[in-house]
Amino acid sequence: MEKENEIVEMLKEFLKENFVKANIPNRRRIFVHIKKDALKDTVKYLVKDLQFKHLSTITGVDLGKKIEVIYHLAYKGSIELSLRLTVSKKNPSVSTITHLIPGAVLYEREVHELLGVNFEGHPDLSPLILPEEWPEGVYPLRKEHELAYLKEITSKKSKREKRN
Amino acid sequence: MSHGSIIKIPFGPQHPALKEPVNFLFEVDGETVVNVKPRIGYNHRGIEKAFELRTYTRNIYLAERICGICSDAHTTCYTQAIEELLGVEAPLRARYIRVIIAELERIQSHALWLGLVAHEIGFDTLFMYIWRDRETILDIFEMISGNRIHYAMNTIGGVRRDIHAAMMPKIKKGLDLMEKRVKYYLDVVQTEQTILKRATGVGILKPKDAVDLCAVGPILRASGIKNDVRADDPYAAYNEIPFNVITCDGCDILSRIMVRLEEMLEGVEIARHALDSMPEGVIRVRVPMKVPQGEVVSRVEAPRGELIHYAKSNGTTKPERYKVRSPTLGNIPALCKMLLGGYVADIPIVLAGIDPCFACMDRMAFIDTKKNRKWVLTMPQLRRKYKRKCMQK
Repeated sequence: MEKENEIVEMLKEFLKENFVKANIPNRRRIFVHIKKDALKDTVKYLVKDLQFKHLSTITGVDLGKKIEVIYHLAYKGSIELSLRLTVSKKNPSVSTITHLIPGAVLYEREVHELLGVNFEGHPDLSPLILPEEWPEGVYPLRKEHELAYLKEITSKKSKREKRN
Repeated sequence: MSHGSIIKIPFGPQHPALKEPVNFLFEVDGETVVNVKPRIGYNHRGIEKAFELRTYTRNIYLAERICGICSDAHTTCYTQAIEELLGVEAPLRARYIRVIIAELERIQSHALWLGLVAHEIGFDTLFMYIWRDRETILDIFEMISGNRIHYAMNTIGGVRRDIHAAMMPKIKKGLDLMEKRVKYYLDVVQTEQTILKRATGVGILKPKDAVDLCAVGPILRASGIKNDVRADDPYAAYNEIPFNVITCDGCDILSRIMVRLEEMLEGVEIARHALDSMPEGVIRVRVPMKVPQGEVVSRVEAPRGELIHYAKSNGTTKPERYKVRSPTLGNIPALCKMLLGGYVADIPIVLAGIDPCFACMDRMAFIDTKKNRKWVLTMPQLRRKYKRKCMQK
């Protein structure tokens, strides 16, 4: 657990007032909550100085009024650091990290499409997963969309296809 | 040599057998691929949403069905995530059984992949041989679990079926046979010109690109990066079993074949060791239905690479959020990189090289944007196209 504590301390020192909180629930697992504006600098610091070069994935979570974006970064494949920040649901927007980690390109598009988070500066946020006829502004992983409503969308689509 | 006009080739998207059917839009200049745009999700089933609507027990069966070939990797990842949330640990015997099943799964998955690669390069005899040998492992699965593919071995708190002493001789005999055959195939791929000509120097992924594009699993290891969740972030009983992480620094298709074949041999050794040193005891502990509030990140080395699940619980019987990132998605940016600058005729083998569950395409439509012509090539036609090309060389 020494290495994990050391990483948290270094991040705390680096982030200063942008640090919200951190916890180490288990061996090789770290959760760090930061302020939204510090994302680019923090990821740069993690990649360049702390050797967190591998991005496992990006998760989006609907918290009700806010949306949480979690970046799962790995240190030499071993320690998995989950860097989290929240964005407002009205204007969910955060800067892209694709210029720091090119491998983030599809993960950002996935979160954009399923939860409606806008990644500023992303080279291409065109649809990736949902059907081509999916209505704009409906983000299926948001809690306000009941399954029945999503089913309605897909059944309308299949009816149209049958007609054609 | 530039031919002056860029041709766009939509590729896919329907592949009935694939977990993640992929559509690529290729821009080609003559025979060279100059741009690649992936479009995934043609088989998007909304599994993450479905996780939120089912109880933890029912979700085991859902996790099992994320993938047909690496079903055990997903349930291992799911059950260990929920176990961590509950604060329970599966008994040691159960964790050993998880290792045995995971390694048998890796052997059959790599065998399946190697068969497909052989098929893609037009070496169907090898394909038939490998898939015949793969049956050995599937028969073992049938004996242990009653099923060849969806073994449904894992449950929250342990495993559902024991591996009895009476099964040991058959498993060990199967492993001996696999070892003998894999050694033979290792010899074949290193000496057979059909494979060497087709796989050497094709689909290059440099180590730096592999790291930058966050490639996972055998793709990363075939680019010389020693990264394996089993060794770096041990789960189940991997911390008690000695094994080697296989790497190869050729960065091409041949290296990916070598890494996977060596991993099959290593898998045989791991399974043997686990069978011999498996402790006696119970195979599962009972767990409550309700899961306390919390969140967890769970990782497993699936046959195709790092698999990561994120779970958030809210104190009820259903998860608040469940996130799955399968290894194939992790390898798609790297795949695009491998295809860039390569030949159109290399697309099938490079695509198959990342093992996207079943890498095969039904048809391809070629569109010449300037002349507005469109024509379709079927997979066999495409194979003939590159075979002719090879003969010209």
